[in-house]
Amino acid sequence: MTTITNDREFRVALDSLDAKRQRLVATRFVESVLPLCTDGRIARAVRVAADPDADYSALTEALRVAKATTLDCHTRCGAEGDWLEQAGYFVARAAVAALTPRCQMPGGMAWQAAMSSRMAQTSKAIVSGEETAGQESEAQYQILAEFLNA
Amino acid sequence: MTETELLMWVRGPLLQAALSIFLLGVVVRLLEVALLGRKPDYAEARGSAVGGGIRTLITRFFPDPGTWQRSTFTVVAGYLFHIGFFIALFLFAPHILIFRDALGIRWPALPTPMVDAATLVTLITLLALLLHQLYDKVRRFLSRFQDYLVWLLTMLPLLTGYLAFHRIGLPPTTLIIMHILSVELLLVVFPFTHLMHAFTLFMARYYNGAIAGYRGVNS
Amino acid sequence: MSAALELGINAFKEQIDGPVVAFFSSCVRCGLCSQACLFYTETGDPERTPIHKLEPMRRVWQQEYTFWGRLGKALGLSRPVSDAELAEWEPLVYDSCTLCGRCSMVCPVGNDIAYMLRKMREGMAAAGHAPEGLVGATKRAVTLGSPMGVKLPALQTQIRHVEQDLGFKIPVDVAGADYMLLLSSMEIMNFPEFIRAVARIFKHAGVSWTIASEAFEATNSGVQIGVSDIAAELVERIVAAAARLKVKYVISPECGHAYMAIRWEGPNLIGRPYDFKVLHIMELLDQLREAGRLRTTGREVRSLTYHDPCQVARRGGVVQQPRNLLKMIANDFVEMPETGTMNWCCGAGGGVSSNERADGLRLQVFKRKKQQLEAIRPDALVTACSNCRIYLEEGLDEYGMELPVLSLTETLAEHLVDKG
Repeated sequence: MTTITNDREFRVALDSLDAKRQRLVATRFVESVLPLCTDGRIARAVRVAADPDADYSALTEALRVAKATTLDCHTRCGAEGDWLEQAGYFVARAAVAALTPRCQMPGGMAWQAAMSSRMAQTSKAIVSGEETAGQESEAQYQILAEFLNA
Repeated sequence: MTETELLMWVRGPLLQAALSIFLLGVVVRLLEVALLGRKPDYAEARGSAVGGGIRTLITRFFPDPGTWQRSTFTVVAGYLFHIGFFIALFLFAPHILIFRDALGIRWPALPTPMVDAATLVTLITLLALLLHQLYDKVRRFLSRFQDYLVWLLTMLPLLTGYLAFHRIGLPPTTLIIMHILSVELLLVVFPFTHLMHAFTLFMARYYNGAIAGYRGVNS
Repeated sequence: MSAALELGINAFKEQIDGPVVAFFSSCVRCGLCSQACLFYTETGDPERTPIHKLEPMRRVWQQEYTFWGRLGKALGLSRPVSDAELAEWEPLVYDSCTLCGRCSMVCPVGNDIAYMLRKMREGMAAAGHAPEGLVGATKRAVTLGSPMGVKLPALQTQIRHVEQDLGFKIPVDVAGADYMLLLSSMEIMNFPEFIRAVARIFKHAGVSWTIASEAFEATNSGVQIGVSDIAAELVERIVAAAARLKVKYVISPECGHAYMAIRWEGPNLIGRPYDFKVLHIMELLDQLREAGRLRTTGREVRSLTYHDPCQVARRGGVVQQPRNLLKMIANDFVEMPETGTMNWCCGAGGGVSSNERADGLRLQVFKRKKQQLEAIRPDALVTACSNCRIYLEEGLDEYGMELPVLSLTETLAEHLVDKG
């Protein structure tokens, strides 16, 4: 039974996964924060990413859409930022990471998806004022452990 | 007034007057730069302003490869014109004698056939530059009345000098008078046009290089 | 003349110094500046010729500072600059120029056109002719401390979350630290991974650093819009915090104009030298590298190229450092054609990305960067400015180019020997 208790173990375990499994676990990280994103394009992209049998062209198209959504969602330089909307931006970035081919993200797509998902949660915390530091990370350790033990 | 008397007057008092206006005008324009000056720079220097200024003074004579590639005509014509004009003005034996009389110093001349050839090339280049100015969309857009006027006033001394040397079209004395008159016209208008770049470009390049050099950039 | 126009003209007059006079006096209308400017090369519009963008200020110079011009004005023969003209010039001064300074590098008579355009913005803003987006950003910068409305609690929340993950504290308001790090709102909002990366690198290298809660904002909207008073006030906040915390250095993050504002303009805006030194984050990282305090492992297999942020490289002087750092972790580093101080602008700096009206133009001029990338076909593009970063991403997306855009600091952090 694998348990993950800190980021070091988390990262090592993620890095040991092949590209497809990274995509699948990354998708679960994104799904955990998906409600923070109101843009329907990301929900659809995540569904494609979650499909273990998704073919190359479907994944590529989903990635393209997710990237475009990221660019639409970001806060323009100098514009008044809205942290709730930024949460959606980070969810989109997490989806992009989940769908990115390994060669373009050698640092680890699942790791990046995890980071972006955490940032989505942080953005929400900024607005809600709730003290949630570490909660999303814990949730992710749990998700990964379940994924590995499956 | 006979033609000879006219020539003496044009070569003498009128030239003196033109030179005075020219010198006064140039000095005033240079003072306009120098008197305004520049505020001191309180940022911590990374490199040398003076070093940068002097460097850029020289390196701006040599355009970067991208400029060469994208504006080949302007660069080549610019070189040909300026070098040719310099040769015609400063390396022509009769001109050097005039400078000697005025300034007390002299320097070697280029063989006259070379000056002659250079002048012809310069005249052709000037014509090409005018055509370029009329047809190139950027230059046409940027050019004002004074930019065409300056072309004419620069061209006339070269043309009349060339014609005078080759004794083409009119009696030699007439051509010389026209040549000197055209020079005088150029001199009096010079300080009020962009021809001032002949002097101010050293200040402009220096400032450019100094600002960049202070920051550690070779501009 | 309306009051606003009068303010504008007076601001132009105040801005005219010896260099400006030398520059205007020397321009022979050769047009070489146009081929250096991506706003001209990618649109073919002669109005975007750099020197032309300065025309109203040139007329003020002529009418106020030259003999013939003053005579003409006294005789009622000159045409004064009108409010309508300033309105007409606004898109040239703000939408069609990022202050990238490439024009200043090629002018054969040595004109520093970007220097002049920065000054011209002072007059334009005073006359009320600056773009809406920039006006809003500047207001927010003054009243909220951040042009994007990023308030301290938001940053604190982010910091807490990063601390939780990393397992160590991020120093805030630590008096006596060596380095005080600034952060740009763009980073805090769009690329907060930067905070994590920097924290890890500094811990790894044993850097004594802190963030100041009273002055964490690096971006200086005053410099972009051209209102020196506001720009000075924003700098004073940083200076005051640096004094209070008694730091030796202030670090400018991955942002272009922030570096220009704090490093080169700052002391002149406030009229006195600093008691601290300023470094761009890359300068500090390179110093750490040289001192052997940055231990990395592994090399990127993919080919990397580097986009020089204009204000950091050409206008700021930090050119070699990113290359030194990249060579530590790259196997295959390839320069763009026309690189370093002659690199091409991303098209989004100098307030252009804050200006919605300029969006179409910005994407159009990205074609110049696209051309550079197509010539070398790298696997990834590295840069050190978060504004460049996101707008490079946008440009790439617009033209269907698949190319990851990376932050230099974050990429370095990924290669640290102590994985976190």
